[in-house]
Amino acid sequence: MLVVLFPVLFIVQMSVRSGLEAFRMPPTLVFSPTLQNYIDLLEGKFVRSLTNSTVTATSTTVLALLLGVPTAYAFSRARVRAQGLLSLWTLTTRMAPPIAFGIPFFLIYKDLGLIDTRVGLVVIYLTFNLSLVIWMMRAFFDGVPRSLEEAAYIDGAGVTSAFLRIALPLSAPGLATTAIFTFLFAWNDFFYSLLLTRSEAVTAPVAIVNFMNYESWEWGKVAAAATMIMLPVVALSVVVRKYLIRGLTAGAVKG
Amino acid sequence: MDRIEATSDRALPWPAARPARRSWTRTRRRVFVGFVTPAVVVLVLVTVLPLLYLVVTSFTPLDLTNPSSRRWAGLTNYRQLAADGRFWNSVWVQAQLSFWTVSLQMVVGFAIALLLNGRLRFLELVRAAFIIPMVLPPVVVALIWKILFTPDISILDWSLGLLGLPQPAWLADPKLALWAVIVADVWEWFPFVMLMLLAALQMLPSEPLEAARLDGASRWQAFRYVILPLLKPALVVATLFRLIDSVKAFPHIFIMTGGGPGTATEVTNFYAYLQGFSYTYVGYSSAIIVVMLLATFAMSLGVLRVAGREHDVE
Repeated sequence: MLVVLFPVLFIVQMSVRSGLEAFRMPPTLVFSPTLQNYIDLLEGKFVRSLTNSTVTATSTTVLALLLGVPTAYAFSRARVRAQGLLSLWTLTTRMAPPIAFGIPFFLIYKDLGLIDTRVGLVVIYLTFNLSLVIWMMRAFFDGVPRSLEEAAYIDGAGVTSAFLRIALPLSAPGLATTAIFTFLFAWNDFFYSLLLTRSEAVTAPVAIVNFMNYESWEWGKVAAAATMIMLPVVALSVVVRKYLIRGLTAGAVKG
Repeated sequence: MDRIEATSDRALPWPAARPARRSWTRTRRRVFVGFVTPAVVVLVLVTVLPLLYLVVTSFTPLDLTNPSSRRWAGLTNYRQLAADGRFWNSVWVQAQLSFWTVSLQMVVGFAIALLLNGRLRFLELVRAAFIIPMVLPPVVVALIWKILFTPDISILDWSLGLLGLPQPAWLADPKLALWAVIVADVWEWFPFVMLMLLAALQMLPSEPLEAARLDGASRWQAFRYVILPLLKPALVVATLFRLIDSVKAFPHIFIMTGGGPGTATEVTNFYAYLQGFSYTYVGYSSAIIVVMLLATFAMSLGVLRVAGREHDVE
């Protein structure tokens, strides 16, 4: 367990040491922690990329849920022959390296003027998040008993209102889990942001690499930035840890 | 959207007196079509069309610096690819990377899953800690290991020196750079294998194991002839996903080695990136990716065929 966590703890402790002290060998166990690295970061351009990351990840989550949740519900409640096709397609898109989508999107965005925009990122994140939402939410809807909705039909409720008033609230935990996954996948993205942004819409993971390259290897700041982008991820994934495998193997394992 | 049929078999028995049933079923179907259509349209727009565009681009000599290069060139790119030594080198690097990362992840993940297979509260906690590497942003993983593998600033380097062992410049040594990447990748993803196998282990039926014990099977025999066959589906799926992801390796290579030194860690994916976006030969880059996609697809089918249990993956 120590071996597993050591690298993470190493970078966290590095982020609270001052410039030179981080690399004094042998390493001192006792040191006076400083938040200077974080303060420097928050006064610099890094804030903007954090905002970009938050905005794009949140928007793609909302969009993927709006589009995907009703589909997942229909797939769960009706026999749809396209479901096998969707499963196969989800796996196929999962197999494709990001650059397979990166190239066509890059060319299209160049023509449309969508390079270096948050909108562009939000749209390309749908390539993996939309099928993920459909896949995960269908499993959650399968777990909601139909009898309640059918009772509502008999009482005269329409299909849409049975979905909105009964199935949706009952699968709220699943909805939250799915939302966290789509958020995390978008938040963790590196390749698309590297390819499709330049300066305005740069997200945090790419921003770190940029200042690693241009600001003369300020390791303390790099460590602080890395800590900042991994904190929400670690916190959120502890919440959804039961469903991690289902999220990571969308298309194959029903979990 | 004629593919959608509302369930009649799964629904509760309907009050027979209801005459409107047929039209109601039709209404329900229409609502469901409305639910499904937007997502399907968007999915086709953002995944199917771009992949088609990729294939089309792979038949052109498209160069980003030369707008007039959007023209049909037939199989030129593919012919060039077959004779491209650097491409074949990248395939070889990729094969080594995939082989070592997947096998090490399977071995380490399986071993730790067996160790942690219990219901103690403490084990629960340990398992929660183990998920951290795989959920971290890949960039952070790559940065951590870049720092750990950089001489002078790394505690790893210092510890090796303390033990009197050589302190190689991992990332600058053509022989060791790939291993540095492999270590980082194994660290990041063995928990995935571990989690999948733990879930499978905990769902094992207890009867076969008890029967084997009653028949006097040793622990090893019980493991080899009872547990292993029962875990096979989980092992196959875990291998398949690790294999697919190993082909997608990018951030680690980009950040830790940049494909170097020389082309020592230049996997196919990364080579395609360089061709497309450093050298601006997007057409050629697309051809590399199309070949890669086909190969990944064939490889996945191969794994399933060898495993002989296609129904495990739906």
